[in-house]
Amino acid sequence: MKSYNTYKTLIFLSIFVFTSCNDDEGSPLPAKQYSQITNLHAPMTGGQGQEPSSGSYTKFDFATASVTTSDTDWDIAFRATTIIVNGGTSTGDVDEPERNGNAAAYIKNLPFSEVTSVVVSDFTQDSLEGLAIPTGSGNGWYTYTGPPEHIILPIPGKTLVIRTRDFKYAKIEILSYYKDLDDSVASNARYYNFNYLYNANENETTF
Amino acid sequence: MRCLRLSLLILFCGTQWLFSQAPTEVFLDSTEVENLNEVIISATRTKRQLASVPLPTQLISAKAIAAANSIRLNDILEEQTGLLMVPDYGGVEGLQMQGLDSQYNLILIDGVPLIGRSAGTLDLSRVTVGNIKQIEIVKGPSSSLYGNEALAGVVNIITQTPKTGFGGRFYYRGGTFSSNDLSTELSYKKDKLGLYAFVNRFSNEGYDLVDSDDVNTVEPFHNYTFNTKINYEFSEKVKLFVSGRLYRQVQDNVASASYDGESQIDEWNFHSKLELKFNESWDSQFEFYATTYKAEEFLNDTAGNLFSYSDFKQRFLRPEFRTVFKPNAQNSFIAGVGVQFESLQRTDFFGYPKFNSSYLYSQYEYTKNDEFNLILGLRFDRHNEYTSQLSPKAAARYKFNDKLAVKGSVSYGFKTPDFRQLYFDFTNATVGYTVLGYNAVTTLIPELEANGDIASLLVPLSVFEGNLKPERSIGYNFGIDLGIDPKLKINLNLFRNEISNLIDTRVIARKTNGQNVFSYYNVNEIYTQGLEFNASLKFNKNTVLTTGYQLLYAKDKKAVQAFKNGEVFARLTPTSPAFALSKKDYFGLLNRSRHMLNFKLSYHMQKWNLDSNIRATYRSKFGLYDNNGNGYLDAYDTFVSGYSIFDFAINKTIFEHYKLGFGMDNFLDFNDPQNISNIAGRIVYGNVTINF
Repeated sequence: MKSYNTYKTLIFLSIFVFTSCNDDEGSPLPAKQYSQITNLHAPMTGGQGQEPSSGSYTKFDFATASVTTSDTDWDIAFRATTIIVNGGTSTGDVDEPERNGNAAAYIKNLPFSEVTSVVVSDFTQDSLEGLAIPTGSGNGWYTYTGPPEHIILPIPGKTLVIRTRDFKYAKIEILSYYKDLDDSVASNARYYNFNYLYNANENETTF
Repeated sequence: MRCLRLSLLILFCGTQWLFSQAPTEVFLDSTEVENLNEVIISATRTKRQLASVPLPTQLISAKAIAAANSIRLNDILEEQTGLLMVPDYGGVEGLQMQGLDSQYNLILIDGVPLIGRSAGTLDLSRVTVGNIKQIEIVKGPSSSLYGNEALAGVVNIITQTPKTGFGGRFYYRGGTFSSNDLSTELSYKKDKLGLYAFVNRFSNEGYDLVDSDDVNTVEPFHNYTFNTKINYEFSEKVKLFVSGRLYRQVQDNVASASYDGESQIDEWNFHSKLELKFNESWDSQFEFYATTYKAEEFLNDTAGNLFSYSDFKQRFLRPEFRTVFKPNAQNSFIAGVGVQFESLQRTDFFGYPKFNSSYLYSQYEYTKNDEFNLILGLRFDRHNEYTSQLSPKAAARYKFNDKLAVKGSVSYGFKTPDFRQLYFDFTNATVGYTVLGYNAVTTLIPELEANGDIASLLVPLSVFEGNLKPERSIGYNFGIDLGIDPKLKINLNLFRNEISNLIDTRVIARKTNGQNVFSYYNVNEIYTQGLEFNASLKFNKNTVLTTGYQLLYAKDKKAVQAFKNGEVFARLTPTSPAFALSKKDYFGLLNRSRHMLNFKLSYHMQKWNLDSNIRATYRSKFGLYDNNGNGYLDAYDTFVSGYSIFDFAINKTIFEHYKLGFGMDNFLDFNDPQNISNIAGRIVYGNVTINF
């Protein structure tokens, strides 16, 4: 009982200490930004039948926490189920944006909250050999149910670990590929819903 | 001595036993002697008393089929313990046995295989039961006798043979969905000559359980089955058997409101056997079997122009020679040698593939006074496309006393990669993905690359220079037969099948259209295990209750390991945090139920010459696909609820030769068209049989 009380006191103290620390620093932006993105539209043309898939990617910038059309200030981009990073070389894809940053990614098979640090050596970039976030059912972030439902389901416990174009780190958990999380209508597809945590301090590898 | 002679004679006749049975005997109450007289051929390829066979077997008599008023093979099989009819694409129904799919079961008619698995599943609704004398089911791998495909088990359909004198039978059943089933059978046997002819026509106007789409659940169809047989005894020692079978089905083919057409299946089989009996201990059979299965379908657009056409034409030819040597009552040997030629022409295929194989098998059997029975068997298969297979089997049964016997077997089974897995060349017209057979990859990928269709290759082509290996299994069965008293019989069987080299698809290249190229590879290891329980309780001379139960665990070994390692996750709601699943959360393979149960209560009213029965089957919950994205069927997925089907049938015999029947299948009208497309709802029918 006594040790339990000691433990409680310690926790209380540590919370107090950490809280005071943050107050003292008084930085304008919290270093770790947690955010939820809903209904990020990632349309695509073609890709059905013989015709190559095309259409512009929907680009996302972690620094401003928003979708962007900038040719340079983007970290990751979405088109249908494909996610590319602003780093690496062209994959030969029609309409892909030019990669002019240092972004990279890998997928960690752990729940979002349990991914607490980055393993720098695990990062890969896009190239002709494949994407840093692989496509295809069961290979990357989703599984495809096939007939008769034809639904794209994010794989629970797959956390996308991202290096941004300027060596900052983020982690993402994709929750749904459908508008308002409703996968009952096929036309709701290609709307990403995801949570992410972005560490705005350069080269800081913890979340 | 006379007894021995008789058994040898029957052995010698191969599939033609029971020829002297009177046509009406089937409908007499013979339950009292039935268990002693039941014989099975499939287990050993010689005629054996069912009770003494050391393998898990089931036997369905013509009488049982008639009592259930079944018309197609799937109707009667789905009522048997541990057997499940699973719907597959295109309205076909395949058999699941000991938790293994249709592609791992060998289906035989009079000992020779049925072909025509366009997508792996052999459709059993193709087979009429009108000319069936008996259905024999042997569970567990049986490749030591039957070679390829006998991985989960064997179903052998024994058809009727000529009976002494002139006789025949007319049968009609009409019912819900304008279903009409009409059979006529003629049989003649005098002295040396036996003739048999059978014709069946089955039609159905189809039905639609889902109103929201433009297609019916089952489109209207009609089909014909013709079967003729000739038996001729040149002498006591030389006998000839020739059988021909024709099947044709025509069905509407509807893809949507704007595309419709027709599909047609044509099948023929020719089966002949020359039997030579040299002396009391030696006899031999030359068997020749040839068959062709052809399926064609087309769709036209609304203007009547051809939109799509596909065909599938498989040929199979097999001469076999076998010899039985029985030096005395205890020992018997059987040995066989054969060659097999198979070819397939098909839309979306790479070339015109041909399979050639040859095989050799032998089996030794030791029997001691009905107390102890031992079977040792071995078969060698050589093939032009895959590695040679050696399939052993060992089985034994020991009878302690009249109340208790135990039996056990260990056996090997294999299934060669089929034509599709080796030679497929298919590109989906609407989505754009491509599937290539293993042997087609090294030729077709460079072609696709030359066309600029390939963005990147994920598996090097050198991987495809070897051979795809046959899928193989080792099966263990252990059973106990209990005859607690003459009225109560219990049979229990524990089984485990270990399957390795299971063939699956994987992505081998990415296409420039964003889709993938798939091909086949040996990857999975799965197991199925469980227990099967059968009991029959005879309340009195006229009332019998039979029941059966199967407990099944069917799992992928890698999946078990992934769950064990905590590598599989789930969410409670779409936005709640993911959490790790444990080993107990893994449910197993898709479309497998943990529990299956059946009951049948039969009552014979002697005064009215009336037979009635009520039958029930239950299947516990199962999963059709992974709903929560982790790729496995786990406790947090949505399952199809368990369900029960109840049937009843009543048949009255009038003046010995006439029979009238009435019944309702699925009388509580259960259906779930989204998940179980082969359950049509309530079916009410009436039938009439005339024996002459």
